[in-house]
Amino acid sequence: MKKLHFSYLPALCMVAVALFTRCSKTVDEPVYEPYPETSLDQSAGNWKTYVLTSGSQFSLPAPENPSSAAYLAEVEDLKRMAATLTNEQKEAAQFWGGNGVLRWHEIAREFTAQYNVPPNYNADGTYPWPDPANPTVYPRFPFCNPPYASRAFALLSVAQYDALVAAWNLKFQHNRKSPAHYDNSIAQLIPANDLPSWPSEDAVVAAASREILKFLFPGEKELIEEKAAEHKNSRLWAGANVQSDLDAGDSLGRKVAERIIAYAKSDRMGQANNQAGYPVLKDDAVARGFTDLWVSQDIPARPPMLPYFGNVKPWNFSDSVKVAIRPAAPPKSGSPEFNTALEELRDMVKNRTAEQWRIASYWADGVGSYTPPGHWNRTACELIFEKEFNEIRSARALALMSTAVQDAGIVCWDTKYYYLLPRPTQADRNITTSTGIPNFPAYTSGHSTFSAAAAEVLSYLFPDHAAEMDSRAKEASNSRIYGCIHYRFDCEVGLESGKKVGSYAVERGKNDGAE
Amino acid sequence: MRNNLLCTLLMLSGLLTHLNAQSPTDALMMPKHQICVLGQYTSSSWDEYWEGANKRSNLNLGTFNASAAMVMANYGITDRLNIMAGLPYIKTTSDSYLQGQQGFQDLSAWLKYRPLAVAIGPGEVRGFVTGGVSTPVSRYVNDLLPLSIGLRCPTASLRAVFNYTFDLGIYATAQAGHTWRGRTSIDRDSYLYNYQLYYTDQVPVPNVFDASARIGFIRERVQTELWIERNACLSGDDIRYNDAPFPTNKMEATVAGWFGKVFVTRQWALHASVSKVLAGRNAGQATTWVAGTTYFFTVGE
Repeated sequence: MKKLHFSYLPALCMVAVALFTRCSKTVDEPVYEPYPETSLDQSAGNWKTYVLTSGSQFSLPAPENPSSAAYLAEVEDLKRMAATLTNEQKEAAQFWGGNGVLRWHEIAREFTAQYNVPPNYNADGTYPWPDPANPTVYPRFPFCNPPYASRAFALLSVAQYDALVAAWNLKFQHNRKSPAHYDNSIAQLIPANDLPSWPSEDAVVAAASREILKFLFPGEKELIEEKAAEHKNSRLWAGANVQSDLDAGDSLGRKVAERIIAYAKSDRMGQANNQAGYPVLKDDAVARGFTDLWVSQDIPARPPMLPYFGNVKPWNFSDSVKVAIRPAAPPKSGSPEFNTALEELRDMVKNRTAEQWRIASYWADGVGSYTPPGHWNRTACELIFEKEFNEIRSARALALMSTAVQDAGIVCWDTKYYYLLPRPTQADRNITTSTGIPNFPAYTSGHSTFSAAAAEVLSYLFPDHAAEMDSRAKEASNSRIYGCIHYRFDCEVGLESGKKVGSYAVERGKNDGAE
Repeated sequence: MRNNLLCTLLMLSGLLTHLNAQSPTDALMMPKHQICVLGQYTSSSWDEYWEGANKRSNLNLGTFNASAAMVMANYGITDRLNIMAGLPYIKTTSDSYLQGQQGFQDLSAWLKYRPLAVAIGPGEVRGFVTGGVSTPVSRYVNDLLPLSIGLRCPTASLRAVFNYTFDLGIYATAQAGHTWRGRTSIDRDSYLYNYQLYYTDQVPVPNVFDASARIGFIRERVQTELWIERNACLSGDDIRYNDAPFPTNKMEATVAGWFGKVFVTRQWALHASVSKVLAGRNAGQATTWVAGTTYFFTVGE
């Protein structure tokens, strides 16, 4: 009998080894390594800015000459530092050395995901709302929902872009190159190029990003400052900048960010959560003949998400254009067209395939995620990395796309609160969803509008990916039908609307001096 | 012909899938060439859960329910070595708009070995070692907790069981085990874990330690038992305030329960169990009812 059971041991061991292999917890993540810059874009100092009057709005005291004693002392400091670098410092040099613009967007996406949780209800059935003056007290400020995120990515991208245009303007005025150009004993840890290094583009990006993110995520001040300091120092550790390159860049980045923040304070976002004004929107919708109004599907009923976000100032067109391109009215509740759309969702509940589940889940970008604007931000960053854009082209691409995505949010929110169409689950309580029900009206679909606007701009910037971007936008749009949180017409009209919104950013791109 | 119980704990759902055959966690074995086949139904529900360490209800979720139909078999390869396998079909519901889930979950198999059986004083001491593995049998949705029927990751477990049974039938059992859990994959390719954003669809699932103590009375035709059990993930993060649970969560539960069994004939037994989660972390405070039946027969020889 003993013999019998010992004969099982080798087999058991093999099963155990096979299982331990499967039980590995290691997860693979993409790594972004530094790449050499393919173009200097010498005229980028003249590219069209968003908030600054032009790239020459700010000037800085001229840099010291490379043969000056002050500069030579800085180079000596750099060499001393190079002799005693820790492994952590070398890793930081690589981490930030590829493309600092993309790293700051990574940070912004992480904050977005962390802050994208709706506040819980109070015992009395009311909901607390974040207080910007007390950002770390629950509910933390901000509640980074999709509209907030769309604006955050736009402000970050615009600040980086305007600051880099200003930096390029100064770079080619003074033409002071990187220290390795003047002292061949300096071995740069990252690929070198001929771009003038005063003021440092990395310090400009670090400072502009730092100020904007502190404004958007005030509870993260310390972490943001730590990251910005590391970003700037990484340039010294990499042997790519001297301290005065960084100081000038920081000063410029900070000045530009102040202008962007001033813009942000007057973009009407401050009134986007005007709950006292919500009855006016309802009355107006009823007056337009939309009598079956959206109500919150949360228990207890939650105040609608940012009912006046549609009133925020768009980037790429005027308020009157926004009104002119507002999508036409959706089918009214109970109309034959409405009922057909509802019937499709009733079937979906019964017959949702595994592939439809996958798509609905992949694009859900709900609570605790970086939201749809963050999803497209990631896609843009990946394309930029693939094409090895330099910093200013990266910032331009992100600014063109992110402003379009925020504009899409504005047009979509304006439409949502203009018609106040109920969600499918309100129209039929038997409809069950594969994901959380957003707390705002159905028509038009936010995912569809955001995605089509992003895809339109990315197709312009990366023409060899145009078909892929278009199909991703359509998949994102369809995912909301699969999830049963949108009618097909919400999604189809949202796609059309987003494409139109994106075309304004494309038009800007064709005329901003970069082509 | 004696049976005990096992809790394969799906803590997040609060679902305790009690197996009432000779199980990996008890002190009982099937004799050589005997087989038992068990079928049972489990219903588990909660309306309060621990979000991290904070207990709360959630009006948007309402009452959560998980029910499971399970089949399991145990075969005596020898008197000292048993092989077991089990597979549950699970169905979840809640009061929310989210679609409840159902399907076959994970297929489990165990080998159980008894190295020790010595008469000491007015009874007998026995020791057991069990090793088990499990694997998901379908690509069920695992990113919709608590409605997902499981975490969809492979596992391997190792445990030791000690038992002392008086000749009169009163017994005490203590057991402890460690379960290694691997990666799972989700349909998204980014997620937060410990407030850090990961850019992958691969999700590490924490390992689990569990231990239980039981006292009971067993005779030819009846068995009754009280038990307490502790399950705790050895790593993981807490559910973020007002966010949904996720497979990386550090789930913990302390559960107490009663189990009883009667033999209707020599070959056919009925059993029932009730239990409640007393304390937890990132877990539902579930109350669980079990009813089942076992059939015993001999194969070969």
